[in-house]
Amino acid sequence: MVRLITHNMLACHVKNCTKDNFPLAFSDVELVIRPAPENLEFINRFLPKLDWKALVDTARSLGDTTLPETMPESMTEDQLRALHHVLMEMHVEEGNMTCRGCGHVYPISNGIPNMLLAEHEVGR
Amino acid sequence: MPLYLLRISSEQTSFRIPSLLSIAQVFDFPIRFVSSDLFRGVLVVELQREDDVEKILERDILVLSATELFAEGASYDELHTELRNNMALFDPYIHTTFRITMESCNHRIPETRQRETINTFRYTGLQGEVSMKAPQVEFVIVEDYEWEVANTPEARYARDGNFVRVYFGRRIGIGRARSLILSHSVKTRTYYGNTSMDAQMGFLMAGQALPAPGKIMYDPFVGTGSMLYAVAHWGAYVFGSDIDGRQIRGKMKGKNTRPGVYRSAAQYGVEDRFIDCLTYDVTRGPIRRGGWVDAIVTDPPYGVRAGAKRLGRKEGKKPLREDPYLMDDGEYSHQKPDYLPPSRPYELANLTLDLILLARWLLVPKGRLVFFLPTVNEDYDEIDIPIVEGMKELKFGAGSVQDFGKWGRRLITMEKTALDDGLPPTFEDHDELELTKASGKLPGHYGFNKRYAAGFPPRKDGNRSESATPPNTTLEKREEGME
Repeated sequence: MVRLITHNMLACHVKNCTKDNFPLAFSDVELVIRPAPENLEFINRFLPKLDWKALVDTARSLGDTTLPETMPESMTEDQLRALHHVLMEMHVEEGNMTCRGCGHVYPISNGIPNMLLAEHEVGR
Repeated sequence: MPLYLLRISSEQTSFRIPSLLSIAQVFDFPIRFVSSDLFRGVLVVELQREDDVEKILERDILVLSATELFAEGASYDELHTELRNNMALFDPYIHTTFRITMESCNHRIPETRQRETINTFRYTGLQGEVSMKAPQVEFVIVEDYEWEVANTPEARYARDGNFVRVYFGRRIGIGRARSLILSHSVKTRTYYGNTSMDAQMGFLMAGQALPAPGKIMYDPFVGTGSMLYAVAHWGAYVFGSDIDGRQIRGKMKGKNTRPGVYRSAAQYGVEDRFIDCLTYDVTRGPIRRGGWVDAIVTDPPYGVRAGAKRLGRKEGKKPLREDPYLMDDGEYSHQKPDYLPPSRPYELANLTLDLILLARWLLVPKGRLVFFLPTVNEDYDEIDIPIVEGMKELKFGAGSVQDFGKWGRRLITMEKTALDDGLPPTFEDHDELELTKASGKLPGHYGFNKRYAAGFPPRKDGNRSESATPPNTTLEKREEGME
């Protein structure tokens, strides 16, 4: 399932990995679109919590180019719809998320990412 | 403001008031409790509008029915006197079809007396036709008895009529959330595990998180997802994480199999509200920022059925590896698909404090943290709940307890009072000094699993703390208590 709303909240958390640890880069992706009921009020409220650039870059890497480069000052309803689609309806079922900083690969299978750290990455 | 009579299940009595208060908060209406004893089978409340009653009927899993209160009394004489003074209440219903139903708490009224009693209400002047099957309006007489054992017909006849109080009113409706106990029963759930929460308790817990459409809620010990089904049922988006992904997935393996949690979510029609379930250790988790979760609802593992685990190695064993391990076949061990990192036990007192610190960071202002905390009843102390700046415990009376005798679990509801996100918790082990900061002693839940396994000493008072209420005999509870 990994939806982009979740992906936007996740950073690599390997010990001492603080540079380029967000956003994680998708690869070998199997993408599924599942329509979800709209709640634009929720999308609007969630907007300030998002990292817009990370979201747009990630959406484009998955082939969705509906979002503008910079976050609009105020969103039109159509823009909120597009955002709803990107955040809530795009599911990455299989693939990898790779940290651009340390190279750790977080595999996704059956829509569930495995984000457990290896022993040497845990730190104290 | 009008008074309403709620008939409430006598299960989990310490949860009923918090449940009603939370519903009032979600829908933003005032509620005042009028009954002097809040723990009987009937509860009189004051509400502004009938709409508010409908919200309670829709949401509260403990509420059996609701009635607009017309009159009450310690005897039928008192009741009739009061009703005769308020005859205008009947005006809208003079010509509608009606029926009068007689009910009782802690007793069963013989049919003959039911008929006789109903006939004493002739003076109300209702002219509509009586319709037993589909009346336009239903009036109810409720007799409320003390709870006592009467297991022969003679004993039952002997106490018939010796009620504490009798009420009369117009039925508004029956509790629609009651059916969730059946529809969400673990027995018929597509996917569940040995730690799944029973449906009624799950809904009571979920209610404390104030779930509503457009909110987002999180369970950091999601397991088989049972906390989230209830939260999602009331419209909230949910996500969860667990250190053990097998709990989320279930036994089915291979490509295109749906994880168990999503299958159960689909059964309940809430799959689109399950944002994601992820495998990670919450103490070494990937969430990058705080201040965006409306509630954290969780039943943390406390070592009775399953022990809490976190990444690391047990103390006294070999230290954590600093470098990846190259196996003989030239691959690194952690890059194998079946690699599982080592884990160590997560002590409950540490976990509890960490959970509150996590909530302090992750929640939005006024967001809620709801979790179960097991304690040995003898040792429980008011101040066992760790004090964290920016987090406040919300408690009604002595709090909500599910009592298993020598131990019990307390439902703790906390609210984030801080307005900022603050810093993410470090999840370092807290030393005993820090854990004893609040009370000068280790909390009643410290090392709970070891003490559970060792057995508890007999209780000094020799009584259940809720001896005034009927014993609770739901199957799930018995199982829990006797485990």
